[in-house]
Amino acid sequence: MIRAYLDFIRAVSLGRLGRAGVVLTTTAFVSFVFMQLAMLSGIVTNSYVGLIVYLAFPVLFVLGLVIIFFAWYRQRKRTGLTTRELLERRFGPDGVKEDLAGSKVFRTVAVLTLANLVILGAASIKMLHFMDSAKFCGTACHSVMSPEWTTYQASPHARVACVECHVGEGVAALVNSKLNGAWQMISAAFNLYERPIPTPVHQLRPARETCEKCHWPSKFYGSRLQTRVSYENDRASTPHYTTLNLKIDAGAAGNTGVHWHISPDKEVRYASVDDDREEMIWVESRQPDGSVRRFVNTRLSSRDPAADEVRTMDCVDCHNRATHIYQEPDRAVDEKIRLGAIDRDLPFIRREALAALRGDYPSFEAAESGIRAGLESFYRRNYPDQTAAWYDRIDAAIIELEGIWARNVHPGMKIEWGAYPSFLGHSDNPGCFRCHTRDLQDEEGNWIPDDCTLCHSILAFGEDDAFAYLEPTPEKARNRAMHEYLREEFLASTRN
Amino acid sequence: MRQTLKAMTILCLGVTVSVGAAEDPKAAGACMTCHKEKTPGIYKQWFDSEHAAHNVTCLGCHQAQRGDNDAYQHYDALIATLVTPADCGRCHARAAEQVGNSYHATAGQILDSADAYLAHVAAGDPVAVIGCESCHGAKVVVDPKSPNKLARRSWPNSGIGRINPDGSLGACSACHTRHGFSKAQARQPEACSKCHLGPDHPQKEVYEESKHGNTYFTNKEAMNLHADAWVVGADYSAAPTCATCHMSATKKQGVTHDVGQRIAWTLRPPISKHKDSWQTKRANMQDVCAACHTATFSDGHFYQFDATVRLYNEKFAVPATNLMNLIRERKLLENPASFSNEIEWTYWELWHHEGRRARHGAAMMGPDYTWWHGFYEIAQHFYFKLLPEARELGDPAVNAFIDNLLDNDPMHSWVREQTEDLKKQIRSGAMQKTYQRFFIVED
Repeated sequence: MIRAYLDFIRAVSLGRLGRAGVVLTTTAFVSFVFMQLAMLSGIVTNSYVGLIVYLAFPVLFVLGLVIIFFAWYRQRKRTGLTTRELLERRFGPDGVKEDLAGSKVFRTVAVLTLANLVILGAASIKMLHFMDSAKFCGTACHSVMSPEWTTYQASPHARVACVECHVGEGVAALVNSKLNGAWQMISAAFNLYERPIPTPVHQLRPARETCEKCHWPSKFYGSRLQTRVSYENDRASTPHYTTLNLKIDAGAAGNTGVHWHISPDKEVRYASVDDDREEMIWVESRQPDGSVRRFVNTRLSSRDPAADEVRTMDCVDCHNRATHIYQEPDRAVDEKIRLGAIDRDLPFIRREALAALRGDYPSFEAAESGIRAGLESFYRRNYPDQTAAWYDRIDAAIIELEGIWARNVHPGMKIEWGAYPSFLGHSDNPGCFRCHTRDLQDEEGNWIPDDCTLCHSILAFGEDDAFAYLEPTPEKARNRAMHEYLREEFLASTRN
Repeated sequence: MRQTLKAMTILCLGVTVSVGAAEDPKAAGACMTCHKEKTPGIYKQWFDSEHAAHNVTCLGCHQAQRGDNDAYQHYDALIATLVTPADCGRCHARAAEQVGNSYHATAGQILDSADAYLAHVAAGDPVAVIGCESCHGAKVVVDPKSPNKLARRSWPNSGIGRINPDGSLGACSACHTRHGFSKAQARQPEACSKCHLGPDHPQKEVYEESKHGNTYFTNKEAMNLHADAWVVGADYSAAPTCATCHMSATKKQGVTHDVGQRIAWTLRPPISKHKDSWQTKRANMQDVCAACHTATFSDGHFYQFDATVRLYNEKFAVPATNLMNLIRERKLLENPASFSNEIEWTYWELWHHEGRRARHGAAMMGPDYTWWHGFYEIAQHFYFKLLPEARELGDPAVNAFIDNLLDNDPMHSWVREQTEDLKKQIRSGAMQKTYQRFFIVED
């Protein structure tokens, strides 16, 4: 059997080129099988190996086959012999009969072709499957995707594969994504891509189709209490609390809330000045009676930009950074202090941490040494006697800061602090106020409500106590009118 | 006008209680909620202010009455953006009345002044808005189409003599800037130096070079600036600021927002004049000096200062003004419009720029401003610009006027004498005698 196969192989290898094709195909096949076994048995776990096994080997395998046929074609051209004559010369009269289909050669080729198809089919499925994995998306184009891969891994969606949101289901989505991927390969190879990569606002699947697989509108009900701690840049890094009772209802049972925008019986549409979607040309909402109420940006009237695209509002118009979340340095540091990873007992730690993070570093290595130098020199200079005793805590803080920097700043992709703003809320970006602004007015001069308590009750706003406004107002509080107003508003909102 | 203002102030005082009561505390809470986030600077300034400590909230000042022509509905409150001395006067009645009576309150009525004319013809309206009205005060125009009902050409404006839609004059925020309403701020020279500086009235610069300024800037921490009462000689004695001499309390005088009450001369016009009841005003000022100086000491200062003002008047201002009047009477100027001939600019700068610098320098103990920025430039421009430009007109009467001045006026005849002779006169004291007549004590 083996001898017959080897004979066949020898006969098929026409000239040096043919032999090369045979070697290529055989090697690729043997390696593929070998590596597949190694991966299945857990000997090899490196994700990059998948790249070689599922992409490189099948391609080499096919390439070898093509070369073999090309060698035959060339030989026929050169010698002027017909295929039959060539076959007879290589396989002898035994192998080739009058009726070609009944020949031994034909049978062998047919069997082997079938085997090749099976192998290739299996390899293709494995290849597609591998390309659907987050690891492939995140690491195949390492330098380009590194920022997105980093933020994705730290996100609430870290266990949802990239393709779940970015590709979608069905043949059309698959073909589309592969064509898109081919272009991405070219742009990566020839350095044609933009830095930082623009948010793929047009390529993304419809958010309602994707997100609502897990987060469906009828799930958004009631309110959600959220306390955010921020620390002052003083010696003690004094904490201040902001507690919001977020009204997140979708509008069922007469409640209002921020998910009103996507409740099934509503439609909000808008046209923005550009793909940043930060400045609106107009916004309109469809009323229950079918009429449309449009608010036009009065500040743009003189510029009058044309609306290229009209968008129906969905999840990503607010949750534009649901996964690839880039932090602002102050928020990131506050979070680490809250978790105790950065020790607030170190004097001026927040102020110094932020100063170190905001340094202008050309690379991660520069940031690493810059952050370390910044913090260490501050404590050595100002607290020479205590620095040794504090060293472990200073060192721990430095490591946390380096981590924050590595997550959020990517000089290779020109991603600085704040490169990708989040539209959620309105603390770092106009966010909600992109539309809820007096600049947008209807024909009667009304604007979309922008009252503070429309979307959240406020139980503390930068106060020493997380529930300052719920507690009895101190007699001497200068802003007691605000305490009382917000307490009443919260209580009234919970009674609804 | 003053009568109207007084009546209005009294009326406002009457409604203070009712307005205070009408203020809805819930609405003020809503104001704070948003403005703490949207305009954190304003909120923080207010939060740290005495107003906040005394429960004066947003609506205490900004609440409008139905029918006010600048009122507008802002969420649940009817408010006005503009807060005028009449509004402040609801609580600060005396201060508002004093402001209304002060020279400051008239600063907005400049449309007929030479300064305003010059800015409009030589520059243009936008310059008048920023360059003149920022300090003098705009006539604030109500525009029903504007979101805050105020026309953009006239708002923002914090000029000291602002003409407000409610008829009141002035802007308390000119000195008590924005939402801090700080007394401490208004007590410091920086509060005045947005306007009182520059080539035409460098009070800031004169103060900075004076002994008073020196001691202030080197002892600022000893100034007790945040004290409730701020009586010179009692609450502080390190140095006087602008406010100390012109407004703040002494042991005898209460604080006044009528800035002219301690000034004897007006050094503003081409020829300096004593103000009405200048003796009382001089006495008021000397009462301030008395916190730190004996009467003999301050008498000496005013003796020197008054002589310098008289010298300015008689040596330069009167002859220059007479010369210009002669030129105008004889219709010798080429162009008809005021300021369309170079000699008019020369004369203008002589009194309006260096002339004032010299006098203000003398008033506030600024040696450099009295001489190098002052009389030195007056003399240079008088002898080598004004007189030659006048001679160029080729008019016999003008030439005769100039010759008479240089030949017969002992203050000017030096130009026709020998240096050695002049030096001898200086050494012998003969030259000084020429000016002896300016050192007099007037009653």
